[in-house]
Amino acid sequence: MSGKVPQRPSGRPRYKGKAPYLFLSPYIVLTAVFFLVPFVNAILLAFYETNGPRSRVFVGLANFVFLFTDSVFRRALFNTTVFALVSVFIQLPLSMALAMLLNSGGDRVKGFFRLVFFSPNLVGQVLVGIVFSVLFTPRYGLVNRAFQMVLRWGLEARWLSEPRLIMPAIVLTSLWLWVGFNMIYFLAALQTVDKTLQEAARIDGASPWQIFWHVTLPSMRHVVIFVVIMSVIGSYQLFELPLTLLSESYGYGADDAGLTLITYLNYNAFRCGDLGLGSAVGWVVALIIFAISLVQIRLGRIAEED
Amino acid sequence: MNLLQILLVGLFVVFLALRLLGRRQIASRFARWTLLCLGAVVVLAPFVWLLAAVFKDRSVLNEYIFLPPFEQWSAKTLNLNNFRELFKGRPSLTGPVYFWEYVLNSTVYATCTTVLQIFFCSLGGYALAKYEFRGKTALTLFMLGSMMIPSVLLLAPLYKMVVDLGLVDSLAGLIIPGMVGTYGIFLFRQACLAVPNEMLDAARLDGCGEFGIYLRLVMPLVRPMAAAFCLICFLGNWNAFFAPNVFLHSQDKLTLPVVLNLYLGEFRHDQGVFLTGTALSMIPPAVLFFALQREFISGLTSGAVKG
Amino acid sequence: MRFVSNFPYGRAPLWLLVIAIVSLGLRVATSRRREARPDLVVVTHTEAQFDAYRKAIPRFEREHGVKVQLQFANWASLQARLQNAILAGTEVPDLAEVFAGSLGFFTRGPVEDIGLLDMTDRLHSDGLDKRLVESRLSLWSTRGRVYALPHDVHPVMLAYRRDLVEALGIDVSKLDTWDKFVEVGRQVSRDLDGDGVIDRYMLDMRYDGNWALQVLLFQRGGQIFDQQGEVAFATEDTAQLVLWYLRQARGPQRIGYECGWGQPVVKALTDGLVLFHWAPDWRSWIFADEAPGLSGKMALMPLPAWTPGGRRTSTWGGTGLMIMKQTRHPDLAWALAKHLYFDTAELGERFLLTNILPPLKDAWNLPEFDKPFPYYSNQRIGQMYAALAPEAPPVYSSPVDDAGRLGLDRAFNRSAEYYARHGEAGLLEEIRAQLAAAAADVRRLAGRERILVKGTL
Repeated sequence: MSGKVPQRPSGRPRYKGKAPYLFLSPYIVLTAVFFLVPFVNAILLAFYETNGPRSRVFVGLANFVFLFTDSVFRRALFNTTVFALVSVFIQLPLSMALAMLLNSGGDRVKGFFRLVFFSPNLVGQVLVGIVFSVLFTPRYGLVNRAFQMVLRWGLEARWLSEPRLIMPAIVLTSLWLWVGFNMIYFLAALQTVDKTLQEAARIDGASPWQIFWHVTLPSMRHVVIFVVIMSVIGSYQLFELPLTLLSESYGYGADDAGLTLITYLNYNAFRCGDLGLGSAVGWVVALIIFAISLVQIRLGRIAEED
Repeated sequence: MNLLQILLVGLFVVFLALRLLGRRQIASRFARWTLLCLGAVVVLAPFVWLLAAVFKDRSVLNEYIFLPPFEQWSAKTLNLNNFRELFKGRPSLTGPVYFWEYVLNSTVYATCTTVLQIFFCSLGGYALAKYEFRGKTALTLFMLGSMMIPSVLLLAPLYKMVVDLGLVDSLAGLIIPGMVGTYGIFLFRQACLAVPNEMLDAARLDGCGEFGIYLRLVMPLVRPMAAAFCLICFLGNWNAFFAPNVFLHSQDKLTLPVVLNLYLGEFRHDQGVFLTGTALSMIPPAVLFFALQREFISGLTSGAVKG
Repeated sequence: MRFVSNFPYGRAPLWLLVIAIVSLGLRVATSRRREARPDLVVVTHTEAQFDAYRKAIPRFEREHGVKVQLQFANWASLQARLQNAILAGTEVPDLAEVFAGSLGFFTRGPVEDIGLLDMTDRLHSDGLDKRLVESRLSLWSTRGRVYALPHDVHPVMLAYRRDLVEALGIDVSKLDTWDKFVEVGRQVSRDLDGDGVIDRYMLDMRYDGNWALQVLLFQRGGQIFDQQGEVAFATEDTAQLVLWYLRQARGPQRIGYECGWGQPVVKALTDGLVLFHWAPDWRSWIFADEAPGLSGKMALMPLPAWTPGGRRTSTWGGTGLMIMKQTRHPDLAWALAKHLYFDTAELGERFLLTNILPPLKDAWNLPEFDKPFPYYSNQRIGQMYAALAPEAPPVYSSPVDDAGRLGLDRAFNRSAEYYARHGEAGLLEEIRAQLAAAAADVRRLAGRERILVKGTL
């Protein structure tokens, strides 16, 4: 691939022909058939209360009002935001640290450790959740016994039934899954950093931390911004992991400690049959993600200008 | 102080000693490798546990963390019972259904969807990258917007559509709606953007048809992305749970994740068999990842690195 | 090969294409013949029931000259499938076996919208409502009408390690009230080897309340919802129960410990970590299946009562058979439901396979229910459960069933947190406040569905 910045094709004459339409026709046809109707349905349903396909009552903004006056929804919003912050401030630094540790190794070593740290992603989220719900068993689970052996605490820790431990349990599982995944991004980015700049800074007497903060990180800013944004968006869509870890309470957990926006949606829409409320939650999630994407575009433009 | 704690403290002491002795280089290398290995141990521990659980007998599953001590190895503690249970036929109306059939179902679903997605998404991505046409911005905005809606919400209406088309309870009902994905289109668009326009113009002057340009010129240039996308798509579909769970009814049509979940019922809670199935179902993705490691990395990160 | 290296998409996609074609061909070649459209489709979620119905259906098919298809799906799958099908308005099986507490989903909204066949009149005209244990119909009724056929009663007893209990000199016949049980329990639940960790507990109690709390609630006559479907757990009696439960499960003198589910329970039983376990009839089978090594060492006893002479059992769970209103053959479906559930010829055998007591009172006279069980020290557990069955408390349902249970759990967990931080000071007031708040939340949810209901109860 060429190393230059891709040109915006705006200066090119408009291609007169059917080719682009033909090329995109499979997408358009399939979307129209399988996606458009459900999509529009989902958008509009937020303003109705329904009971299956039979009855439908227009309620305007009542669903949204219900959401914002529901303490359970507020808890879901809180939990999900906490998880997003944890992803950015704990998970990503860990990924970065791992990438930096690995950067200095040889190719084969890199390949081996990359496989090792990525391997959790080879199992689906659903199966990971079920396996970890077994690993968190009090007294007998692997996590409990490991904590006991190293920290002398935690054999009886009820990771999945003690409200204060439920979010940490979800965080631990997500760290296991995604630290390696993000490490791959950072590793690739580290390899494009100009080593001469780093050398120059070192010769000037900068400490390793200063080198990292002022030379390495800024050269990686595209990737860092991308990974941060992807992490946050992914966090707001966290669903299968808490659902399978806390399968008994449909992802709620004791005292709603594990509740996320999408598990709230799933519960209300599918367990309770309240599709209207589910769609309203869908709106809220979509708007949040939209806002975050705007931030990404803004940050991307600022980074571009440097 | 148990063995593990002694080991950890010992490592730290070695590191300190090296630093104090002035061997900073060796100390930092030592620290680096220790941390990496510890990290690897932590990440791999659940897999080791999984592997051990596969061979442990049902009655001693929780007795020992990994394997029983050597003196206790016997047919009662370690055996292949889990495999026997897993490969036993599951009852269905048309006769017993065996494990290999579920593997086959998952294979068909994952590979067919991936292959179709590679074709359609690359077409769409190329069109978005290298053409200007009316409605392009609108279409792109629509695609972006559609990615923001939580997909769980669309499951019920999609189910209705699949039933109305008579495709319910078949792999086709899963593959056909999944033939194109906006994520794939954007990935290929990112890759195609890097193809120099001059090459395309030159090919057009040579009289090459548009599809020919796409197929013979552009696609070979984005092979890394195609390989990366192979892995991403295959992984996603091999491990997919929610849609197959709802769309597939007959026992002989189920895919691996769905069937494995059935072993964890209310009454027959067979963790050992479930874990064995999970371990086996990890093999194809692992093989694929091993083979495609380099392309996967470069394809995945090209989108991020170039911004 | 030139083709391989020239394949435009690269090697990996080529390999996948080859695998896709080969596997697709293999799949098509080995695919099974689709059955001719059956007259009725029945779905069940338990393997034991699947086996039992597989035996019972051929006779029905012969007698009525129809084709019946029996499907199996585990509960989570089945529930997702039924819910999505109903939400989308698509085809559903004619009869479906569901777990108790899920009725709420299917009975939401106006009565006309309920997609289930109303069985009240048929039960009455067939005289079944007299022959079944009355309280079971409550699980499957809403707004005064019955919508599913009860499969069971599920009376609850306590299963215990008879050998260990006797070795401690405990006479279980004296443990006829919870006060006496707790008193003995306090002496039993101790740290035996001085390492600071309690090594023996009296009773298996869930850490977060959940089903153990509900079993006790129903035993006391409490309810989550009342007969009209209104929230009913914000009462003084429930608050007292929560206080009692917190003391026994989490307090400094606790007698309870959560064993979990599956293998950890077996280990706790085998090691003698917890002596007494909750044993509804279905769980008595599970113990025998998962811990065969304890045969002869286990026994069952009725629950201690809350007041002397009070109710000595409760109920936990339940399965019911629903008939979808859109079935093409409602009378045939009703006949099949009765055949599957109440054909006395089968019920004795089924009891031996699953230990589950049917709600049909006449069936309890069958010889199989009088059989001694060697696993439970030769007790005649069929008769024991049958003796307790008429007392099994009713459990009323509501369209927001799940939310009700979640609300009770929420109130419990918040009270537990208060307990952990402040001890008993002001605990009862806190419990009352939490119950009231949780009840209010559930009412809000129930209020949402009132918008749909046009002038019903």
